[in-house]
Amino acid sequence: MNFSSAIYLTSAAVLITAFYIQGQRYLISAIRGQLVQSTIIAAIAFILAYTENSIDLLILGILLFFLRGVLITYLLAARVPMKKAYYFESGINVPYLFLVDLVFMVVSVFILYSIAFSGLVPVTLPDSPQDLLFPLLLFFQGLFLITSRRSTFTQIVGYVEEENALVLFAMFLLPVPIVIEASVFLDVLALVVISSVITVEKVNHEQMEELRG
Amino acid sequence: MITLIEETLTQFLFVIFLSPLFAGIFARIKAMVESRKGPSIFQPYYDIFKLLRKDTLIPENSSFLFRYVPYVAFGVYCIIALIIPVVIPEPIIFTASADFLGGAILFSLAAFLKMAAAMDSGSNFTAMGVSRLMSFNVLGEGALITVFIAVSLITGTNNPYVTNAFLVSHPSANLTLVHVFATVAFFMIFLYETGKIPLESAGMQELGMIDEGLNYEYSGKLLAINKWSSYIKQYLLGAVLLNVFLFPWWLTASSPGFLLDIPIMIGKFVLLILIVMVIETTLAKVRLFKVLDYLAVAFTFSILFLLLSEVIP
Repeated sequence: MNFSSAIYLTSAAVLITAFYIQGQRYLISAIRGQLVQSTIIAAIAFILAYTENSIDLLILGILLFFLRGVLITYLLAARVPMKKAYYFESGINVPYLFLVDLVFMVVSVFILYSIAFSGLVPVTLPDSPQDLLFPLLLFFQGLFLITSRRSTFTQIVGYVEEENALVLFAMFLLPVPIVIEASVFLDVLALVVISSVITVEKVNHEQMEELRG
Repeated sequence: MITLIEETLTQFLFVIFLSPLFAGIFARIKAMVESRKGPSIFQPYYDIFKLLRKDTLIPENSSFLFRYVPYVAFGVYCIIALIIPVVIPEPIIFTASADFLGGAILFSLAAFLKMAAAMDSGSNFTAMGVSRLMSFNVLGEGALITVFIAVSLITGTNNPYVTNAFLVSHPSANLTLVHVFATVAFFMIFLYETGKIPLESAGMQELGMIDEGLNYEYSGKLLAINKWSSYIKQYLLGAVLLNVFLFPWWLTASSPGFLLDIPIMIGKFVLLILIVMVIETTLAKVRLFKVLDYLAVAFTFSILFLLLSEVIP
């Protein structure tokens, strides 16, 4: 097995974790799913660091693992209300969510990928430009996770998923400059602050309540 | 030509006459795992012979659909037995009459006919079973057809025999991501269509009654035919799972050698039974309204497979 197929397989695993989070009712399981996803993306960063011989990607992988994998998971899990293991979001219709998710995937594959990205050749993955598809799919799933849920925790997980997608996209497309690492760091810092404040304020967000005076 | 006729007869008779045996082996092994004595492996044959001798009762308000559809559905499954590689890995006489997608649509046709005939009886239990089956089949049949379409994208042909030969001659193709996705999706659909335990649809318990709901008003000869065609359906789906997805090797097509396919197919099917047995005896039954979640996962896998095989070669 060569490295491009290893990256291909791990990227597909990222996609499966995204579906797992999407269909998950229990908050703590969704947060742990995010831990697995971030760890897999850190593993992709390590594989790329090895093939590209780049210290930047190595640092990125370590940052991803400790900040997203460990720190955010710990902070979110600590704030899930009492009876943690049994705390779940009601009213989730898995078949509907998966079908809409699939529609998103079809849109992202057949419109965005075949039109907007067809000419792109990633620098880090010159042999397999089609791998750029995975971050794209992950991005759409993160967006849909935010719109489809009311729980603040799941929305934050959706936001982390989007950030993961951006990092994955950046890793595949370009050799990583230190700017991206810094942005990851700042993102996570901001995310930790925001998530701590928001989750303390309220656990669920209803659709229109932010618009009330 | 004579070899071709022999092969056709072998495959057809094998499917028709040995498919109840696999149901018997399944019940027997399950009983052994559960520390029961269990019925003989020939029990499905005894059941069929017993029912064939019994009188047939027909509901007063039913029409010709109720009486003739069991025979038509049986015939549809017999046609499927001739067009997909369930025993012989080479095309036989009637193979050219339909492709892989045709096979999938014939499965759907048989399911539809059975539901129409069951509704014709006017029973409340039947209506309950049919309404459940209809709401599940939205995703179940969809995933079945999608997997069958998608498997043709690997080889660029819609002929399951070519797919089988391709997978045998390219062992690495069995490990590609798209193939693995398709196999997982089809295995989930296989468990659903045959009513195995995570979503048990057989059995007379009202809470999970689906298949028995369709047969509720049938009796005697018609019930025997219905049971027999469901055994054939189970064998056909299992054989497709084995020969096109999970384990395509070991079948031969040379002139006297094809007789060896009979013990080999029995052995392969027993292997599949053992795999299913592990799942049956370790998992609990999911609640009825969770079956759609399960099918949504299978459908998602099959669509993912379609997308990936289209974009990523």
